[in-house]
Amino acid sequence: MKITLARVDDRLIHGQVTVGWSQKLRPDRIVLVNDDIAADPWQARVYRSSVPPEIAVSILSVANAADLLSPAESPRPDESLVLLTESPAEMAQLASLGVPLRRINIGGMHFSPGKQEFLPYVFLSPQDVGDMLGLLEAGYELFAQQVPGGREVLLHPGLLLEMEARF
Amino acid sequence: MIRALVLTHGQIGTEMVRVTELIMGPVPGLAALSNQGNSAAQMVQVVTDWLEGKPTPEAAGPVILLVDDYGGSCANAAQSACAKHKDAVIVCGVNLAMLLGFATWRDDNDIEELVSLLIKKGREAITQVGKRI
Repeated sequence: MKITLARVDDRLIHGQVTVGWSQKLRPDRIVLVNDDIAADPWQARVYRSSVPPEIAVSILSVANAADLLSPAESPRPDESLVLLTESPAEMAQLASLGVPLRRINIGGMHFSPGKQEFLPYVFLSPQDVGDMLGLLEAGYELFAQQVPGGREVLLHPGLLLEMEARF
Repeated sequence: MIRALVLTHGQIGTEMVRVTELIMGPVPGLAALSNQGNSAAQMVQVVTDWLEGKPTPEAAGPVILLVDDYGGSCANAAQSACAKHKDAVIVCGVNLAMLLGFATWRDDNDIEELVSLLIKKGREAITQVGKRI
């Protein structure tokens, strides 16, 4: 198992992932990690149905994903994966549970009350900033980029601390 | 009254509704929603409100959700919102001919007939010019 893209995107499976990134990376499987969707057959079916037939899909809770994606457990060592979570918090959970991540893509976090704009497609809450700082401190690399070929913005602690000061 | 919500990427739907009304005059119960700036959850909420007649309670009625592309955030939001509103109909591949058809036939058909007519009209509108002549 090789995670070719670990992405935080609150739209989860949508065109930027199934067309943009998947045409570039050609993953064998998209793994959507979200406790609510994994427990809701209707929602799971909706997301599953929007993936092209040549790409397999797994929709897993955080705990199940951590089990299945740990290097020792990997049933398909050659499979390439795109891993998706809705928020940095879930990505941080997966990292702390031993999922082998290195670079984490911040792909889309939309506005909602209490969030501040960081980039036109990235709005952060105080918790998001804290989770992202935690990931950086733990040695993960974070970069914001919506689609392949788009501008990549490397996130360093200074940028996030500036964000934190704005709340 | 049968209503229609056009759910699209960017401003495609807003412009399609605007042009439809330029041609046909005001079309009550026809509106557009963009995915721009909205998370999946926010889109589902807006569609759900619309299905429940929250913006226009006086005009509540059966709904057709017209989506630009199957498999994107708009289609996902439509399907998620319909989990609790299974009477709504989702049609993907919306084009201008379908909106003109909606404005023309909405009052004379039930929702099932109207959806069939719109799909037929939308397909007929995709044509290689010259082949018919």
